[in-house]
Amino acid sequence: MAENPFDPVTLSKIANMELRARLIVDGVLSGIHKSPYTGSSIEFLEHKEYSPGNEIKHIDWKVLAKTDKYYVKQFEEETNLRCYIFLDASGSMGYKSTGISKFAYAATLAASLSYLFLKQSDLVGLISFNDRVLHYIPPRSRITYLHTILNVLAGLKPAGKSNISAVLNSFVEKISHRSLIIIISDFFDQVEKIIHQVQHFQFKQNEVILFHILDSYELTFPFETVTLFESMEDERRILADPKSIKAHYLFEMHHFLEQFKQSCFENQIDYCLIDSSSPMDQALIKFLARRESTLRPVHKT
Amino acid sequence: MLSFLNPVLLLGILGASIPIIIHLINKRKSVSHKFAAIDFLLETNKRISIKFKIRQLILLILRASLLMFLALSLAKPFIKNSGGGAEEKNIPTSNVIIIDDSFSMQYSDRQDSFFSSAKTAAKQIVDTFQKDDEAAVIACSSSKPLVLPELEDDKKHLFNAIDQFHPGFTATHIMSALDTAVEILASAKTSIRRIFLLTDMTRNGWDPHWFKSGHEKLQRHVTRFHILDVSEGRILKNIAITHAELQLNLMERNAEIRIKATISNFSPVPVKDLPVHIYIHGKKSAQGFFNIETNASETKEFFITAERGKDIYGWVEIPGDNLLADNKRYFTINASQPIEALLIDGDPKTNIYESETFYLEKALNPGREHLSSIKPSLCAIHEVNNMTFADFNIIFLCNVETLPPEKIQELGKFVQEGGTVIFTLGNNVDADYYNTAFGALLPHRLHTIRTFSSNSPLSEEQPLHLKTTEPIHPVMSILSESQISMLSLVKFYRIFYVDPTPLGSCKTILSFSNDTPALIERQVGQGKSVLFAASIDRDWTDFPVNPFFLPVMQQLCRYVTGSIPEEISKEILVKDAWQYPCAFDTNVIEITDPDGTQTVVQPQFADNEKYFKYEETKMPGIYAVTIDGKLHPQFPAYFSVNVDPAESNLKKINKSEITALMGGTKLSITTSHTGEESNVLLGEAKKTLWGQLLFLTLCILFLESFISRK
Repeated sequence: MAENPFDPVTLSKIANMELRARLIVDGVLSGIHKSPYTGSSIEFLEHKEYSPGNEIKHIDWKVLAKTDKYYVKQFEEETNLRCYIFLDASGSMGYKSTGISKFAYAATLAASLSYLFLKQSDLVGLISFNDRVLHYIPPRSRITYLHTILNVLAGLKPAGKSNISAVLNSFVEKISHRSLIIIISDFFDQVEKIIHQVQHFQFKQNEVILFHILDSYELTFPFETVTLFESMEDERRILADPKSIKAHYLFEMHHFLEQFKQSCFENQIDYCLIDSSSPMDQALIKFLARRESTLRPVHKT
Repeated sequence: MLSFLNPVLLLGILGASIPIIIHLINKRKSVSHKFAAIDFLLETNKRISIKFKIRQLILLILRASLLMFLALSLAKPFIKNSGGGAEEKNIPTSNVIIIDDSFSMQYSDRQDSFFSSAKTAAKQIVDTFQKDDEAAVIACSSSKPLVLPELEDDKKHLFNAIDQFHPGFTATHIMSALDTAVEILASAKTSIRRIFLLTDMTRNGWDPHWFKSGHEKLQRHVTRFHILDVSEGRILKNIAITHAELQLNLMERNAEIRIKATISNFSPVPVKDLPVHIYIHGKKSAQGFFNIETNASETKEFFITAERGKDIYGWVEIPGDNLLADNKRYFTINASQPIEALLIDGDPKTNIYESETFYLEKALNPGREHLSSIKPSLCAIHEVNNMTFADFNIIFLCNVETLPPEKIQELGKFVQEGGTVIFTLGNNVDADYYNTAFGALLPHRLHTIRTFSSNSPLSEEQPLHLKTTEPIHPVMSILSESQISMLSLVKFYRIFYVDPTPLGSCKTILSFSNDTPALIERQVGQGKSVLFAASIDRDWTDFPVNPFFLPVMQQLCRYVTGSIPEEISKEILVKDAWQYPCAFDTNVIEITDPDGTQTVVQPQFADNEKYFKYEETKMPGIYAVTIDGKLHPQFPAYFSVNVDPAESNLKKINKSEITALMGGTKLSITTSHTGEESNVLLGEAKKTLWGQLLFLTLCILFLESFISRK
């Protein structure tokens, strides 16, 4: 829920977020990334021999004059990118071992990406959710729109259970084709269901990027003493000797990540696992550099 | 029945609750941590939760039992089994515990001596007794075998009796202790009567003759005979001084003492270069080295010069071994007092070689100076009135025809007051005169002169010889056996027959070969009268020119004056009585034992003789004799007491030999060692459990560390 935009605390938080996001993306732009998007003008793509049924207004008269043949011009469609950022704000995202929580990390990442896209005059929308949609900000391309996104991000607090597949399902019809869909979550849900929903987006020629944010403690499980582990989304708790269960836990976690990664690979979903303890700029640089090196377009035309 | 030696330590069992408390505290204080990937934990925990809980439970049980078993083993549990056999359970028993207190029980090659082990074992046996069991505790000492001689059912009294029991310095006397034990058990009313003998199993003290009749008594009154070997079957090593013999050479200006020390090696290994020291008055005076083979002895002589006229004490010492009691052997030499002898010559000659007293004087003092302790003074018969008999210790009347009546009277008084007169006869002696004048002094009445010479016309028979009487008189004990055998070579051509009936308390020192008395002593008042029934010169005999004439004459003088060094040859062992005749004017003497304890001794009377008897010779060492805190010339300044060397031999007797001694008895005899393996005797008394518990504790500790590390 959004806080009072005039609240000095909120404003200071937004300012802080903006600064952080800007710092990180500036760092990215200055060295490596060059946006593949060319702007909003209609650009010529190729000539095609006229055939009956083609609109006459598209006949290139200059070519006719030169070659005495009928060619029609083919143009690129609307090239402004629509980007939807799904941000998981369930209770499990509030976990932090050291440094910042997974949610704070994810929010910063969302802000950074939003800034990145808006700066490129792309349309950015934000959907925060847990087991339902908490906020929906439709895609806009004005740079000042960033304040709105940041304001929403600052007001979010991770809570509640997560149900990613249900939320994605509710957006399948709303999102038009050829959009970039970024989902930032810890994905503590059923992998099959998530992949299934993502496939729906892909079917509509959307590209999907999954940012998988996990805490370092979740990845390494460095606990020593007998600990009462409490769930962050419900009332479940468990007393366990970490030493005795560490191996099994790491096996389960590894199995989960491998399964997730494999599914993404098979479905051509861009997947990026980020440890919340790692510096965000480096993680972003690494991700964007990888995308460029694979020469995959950000979206299909 | 399970009992504990340190029941207080059972409180330590409460320590078993410590792991449980720690577990509960940990559970309560367990760190709470909000965790996002709880689903993975749940999935993991589902698989290993049961395994984890079982492991934790096992660890908890192991840790609790570890502390519990540790506390239990420190409390030293044992199982009491009062009866031994099943048939004896809950049946009252009568027991006699015999503790060997001989000095061999002081053997110590470990922390405790055998005697301490025996006391501990005795207490353990007493501890197993039930309510109606009764017991007596006795020692193996012959002179004082009783410690708690009556059957007692109060364990406290029994424990006190055992506690107050100290090792002695006597030899083992198993038989007297068994006699006492049988006597005690004969009066017991219970049907089960047992003897527990706690000994080191040394062979000494097991008298085979006793068992010829003793085993019947044992079978009749005793149902079980348990022998506990406190030496635990070990082979014992001991080196001991088994003999120290002294001889005095009285002919030298200073008394030269020859000490013959015999060292015995009762060990299974030979001894090399064993230092042996002789101490005189506490100062090291001589040293020697011994090489002794296994189970053998070696004797060496040491020569020590001591100042004449003083009482001497000392000891032979070897370095300490496992048994210290026999590493010293004490000796004393009593100073010989100067003896003034008056030789009244009844047949003086111009040629002194023919004088009656020539040989006698030379025998009493062979040198020109008075090197011997005897100072002879010569006196012709006409000079006798000038002499005062009281100035002398001995008056020799040598072939004296007559004495003035006043001198005869003086002589009688002299003898009555402690002096000695020695009559030697000859041709001048008239039997009737002597019998009349000296009748109160002569041992026997004189009869007639008889001649025994083949060369003489008056000859009747072959010359007579000398022979000793049985038992050998102290005067003759100075002669060796070979010298005594040479007495038969002495020829007597003429002798005086005496009446067979003695005139008083008489002893024959020497007799002639025809059994007539030759040398006779008589106790007269406080003094002595001695008669030699022949001449002291060569007129009637060749005795004076024989080599043993000198020692016999000197010894006779010492004997009659009471200064014969008898103690040199007579050794007093621990618990033997020291006895010494006393003058009538002495009514009390003090004897100080080696510990410094002084005992006042009163005189005793037996057979008209007054003597002092001291029986408290409890320990080996030097005992001092004083009167009013001062040395007295009439008494030896010291006497020595030693341990019985027979006890130093630690050779053991085994069960089969004991059974053989018992003549195949049906009596149950068990021999066992102390320690864990003694399940025959101590197994009957108790079975200790702490060893097993400690082992179990270690196993649990190992298992716990193994599981917790896994």
